[in-house]
Amino acid sequence: MTTSEERNAICDAVRGLMQDRSSETAVRSTMETPQGYDPALWAQLVELGIVGLLIDPEYGGTGLGPLELELVMEETGAALLCSPLLSSGVLAASLLSACGEKNAQARYLPGIAAGTTIATVALTGDAGTWTPEGVTVDARSANGGALLNGVASYVTHGQIANLLLIVAKTGSGLGIFEVDANASGLTRSALPSFDRTLRLARLEFANTPARQVGQMGWPAVQEALDVALVALAGEQAGGGRRIFEMTVEYAKTRIQFGRPIGGFQALKHMAADLMIEVESSTSAARHAAEQLAEKTNQAEEAVSLAAFACAEAYSKVAATAIQMHGGIAFTWEHPAHLYLRRARAYAQLFGSPSLYRERYLTQLGA
Amino acid sequence: MADIEETNKADAALRTEVRAWLDANWDGTLQPDQDKWNLSAATKAWTAKVLDAGWAVPTWPKDWFGRALSAEQADIIAEEFARVGAPGARQDKSNLAANTMLAFGGEALKRQMIPGLLKREIVQCLLYSEPAAGSDLAGVRTRAERDGEDYIINGQKVWTSGAAHADYGMLLARTDWDVPKHKGVTFFFFPMKQPGVEVRPLRQITDESHFNEVFITNARVPAANIMGGLNNGWRVLQTALAYERATMGDRPRGARISATSDDLIALARHYGRLEDTALRQDLAAVLSLRKLNALNNARAQANLEQGTSSSVMSLGKLAMSRILHEEARVRTAIVGAESLLEGPDHPFGDDANFLAFNAYFTSIGGGTDQIQRNIISERVLNLPKEIEVDRNVPFRQVRSG
Ligand SMILES: Cc1cc2nc3c(=O)[nH]c(=O)nc-3n(C[C@H](O)[C@H](O)[C@H](O)COP(=O)(O)OP(=O)(O)OC[C@H]3O[C@@H](n4cnc5c(N)ncnc54)[C@H](O)[C@@H]3O)c2cc1C
Repeated sequence: MTTSEERNAICDAVRGLMQDRSSETAVRSTMETPQGYDPALWAQLVELGIVGLLIDPEYGGTGLGPLELELVMEETGAALLCSPLLSSGVLAASLLSACGEKNAQARYLPGIAAGTTIATVALTGDAGTWTPEGVTVDARSANGGALLNGVASYVTHGQIANLLLIVAKTGSGLGIFEVDANASGLTRSALPSFDRTLRLARLEFANTPARQVGQMGWPAVQEALDVALVALAGEQAGGGRRIFEMTVEYAKTRIQFGRPIGGFQALKHMAADLMIEVESSTSAARHAAEQLAEKTNQAEEAVSLAAFACAEAYSKVAATAIQMHGGIAFTWEHPAHLYLRRARAYAQLFGSPSLYRERYLTQLGA
Repeated sequence: MADIEETNKADAALRTEVRAWLDANWDGTLQPDQDKWNLSAATKAWTAKVLDAGWAVPTWPKDWFGRALSAEQADIIAEEFARVGAPGARQDKSNLAANTMLAFGGEALKRQMIPGLLKREIVQCLLYSEPAAGSDLAGVRTRAERDGEDYIINGQKVWTSGAAHADYGMLLARTDWDVPKHKGVTFFFFPMKQPGVEVRPLRQITDESHFNEVFITNARVPAANIMGGLNNGWRVLQTALAYERATMGDRPRGARISATSDDLIALARHYGRLEDTALRQDLAAVLSLRKLNALNNARAQANLEQGTSSSVMSLGKLAMSRILHEEARVRTAIVGAESLLEGPDHPFGDDANFLAFNAYFTSIGGGTDQIQRNIISERVLNLPKEIEVDRNVPFRQVRSG
């Protein structure tokens, strides 16, 4: 467990790196590149121990947990970092940990921590539902290995990953399979992402040879997903806070009718309402991270709450920010829409708010 | 009683006449225009035909292409055109420039411009907003200075939709700097295609480029192109805004790619979501908003007379803003993960995102929601006015942003 000073130091380092390398200008240029991330910045994230944050030191990682992860993600989210961090360092690493297969961990985690392996997880099909029913890839065994058939979609960084981990249905529960990026019978196609800071792909399998790396029930998958949801919540909270601060700042300086527009109660009230959203999403994200880090019996409930509360808060804050800016924020050159794109994407990325609202209620006993 | 019967008879005769005309002339092959700033020759030809037949501006006087009909009768024409999907009728409700011109143009200017405006041959844009004068439109700093028979214009406009295609701009410029801001502005019908007018397109958050920056340097406009008289621009603007807001509150732009997704019920059915009770409640709520606004508009439009003021129109525009944002929210919920995507291969996702973003056209363009709320509360409800620090100060002394 880190001390709060240590956590502050990590956040300061990440914030500094974001200021240097993930400025708005940098984000705009990186988001237009085919690979969608900046390899030099990626290397620096590796060096800071961020890419391997969750990975055991035994495998070259930093060995920290959800608490530190969430705080780091507030910083990356605020800066709209374009990177496969969520795909590789968070989701894939967590899935490999959750599946409990020592061999697989030893094989893959060191590469992920070192940033040389960019891993991703393919789980949901075309419907984009992050539930057991959402899995639409089937695996069957064939001469010592496995063959996959079906479709996985909305695979984050699926187009550039060099380690594809596929969650597929087997005769007995779910399995994780590794598929070679250029395996026969695999069609990878990039999907046009509305949030251009993000990369998504669709994978089609037609008797695609695969190697099984683990066998697990849905609870283990959910365990990995919960870590990813906490990371996502951190980015949502951080992104919401940043665009909120920019908006308040603008309201203090933009003059209409001979005075700063922030002096109009209409805008003051909007700002005050948004502040509730911003604070609530920070609280929800941090609470979920703490509960998960301490593995309490309220962890799942806290993660569900963060999943929909942070998603909706971010969307509301980014959407209202545009309104509060007026015409200037209707332009591509203004960053507000980048935040709204991110907010809308993250509200669906690992499952919709309605999914997590349901799950929250179930956990509350309703 | 007799009067009512007579009216009914006249209405029925009118309906028969419109139908017969449409039967004879409308073959349903006209393609809708993708870009309303750049109409096809076929659309223009059709519009001219509608004008000749007297359906374009039925409430206008007979010597101005009209039939001097009541708004109710004119709506019969609109209904019949809508029934077959034909455009071009009832421009007396929608054609901002032509209506404002009829109300405020000088005789010669009207003769010169109105036919082209009604035939949609003259494309016009709105040169109101400036970098430092958006909501506070009376604070425009573009200057107009008399030079012989002309005015010379210098300044910068921004967010000017359609400027790249426009032949004329409805220009708000300052003609007197020594009086309070509302009293020193003049409304010009300003020729765009001349040296000294530079249009620079701006990229929008929808990744389209309809609006522009317009830089005006020593450009000319004849004094005869003043509408409504010198330093009376604020009055003219109110009428122009009324037509703009009425249109924005009534007929917003729909889906960009997939017309079927304009129908939210069909969309929910397509996604197999019609059994979802939470969604059903949401759907009923947003669909009712649209219906109720249409009913409100139908009642209010009877009051929209020539040269009217814009206050009442604010209600429909404000309502439409909420409708569009709410519909986009429900649409996104229906489409779910597909809203991560854009482009023609993912039409429903693209529509959800486009409509969510384009909703700001209505909540910011034509005066923001906040400004509409101020207008409704202050000018319609007569609530005490917000103190406006620079309202009575000579414009020269006003602080700008
Ligand atoms: C898509 C689009 C198309 C447009 N097309 C045109 C066009 O063709 N021609 C043209 O001239 N203009 C056009 N506009 C400009 C539009 O009219 C202005 O953007 C709008 O009036 C707001 O002005 P602004 O952008 O300067 O924002 P500001 O006036 O700076 O407003 C910023 C924020 O302050 C709030 N605010 C300002 N004053 C008050 C107040 N008194 N009380 C409460 N809140 C207040 C606003 O609501 C907003 O939230 C267009 C705008 C858009 C988005």
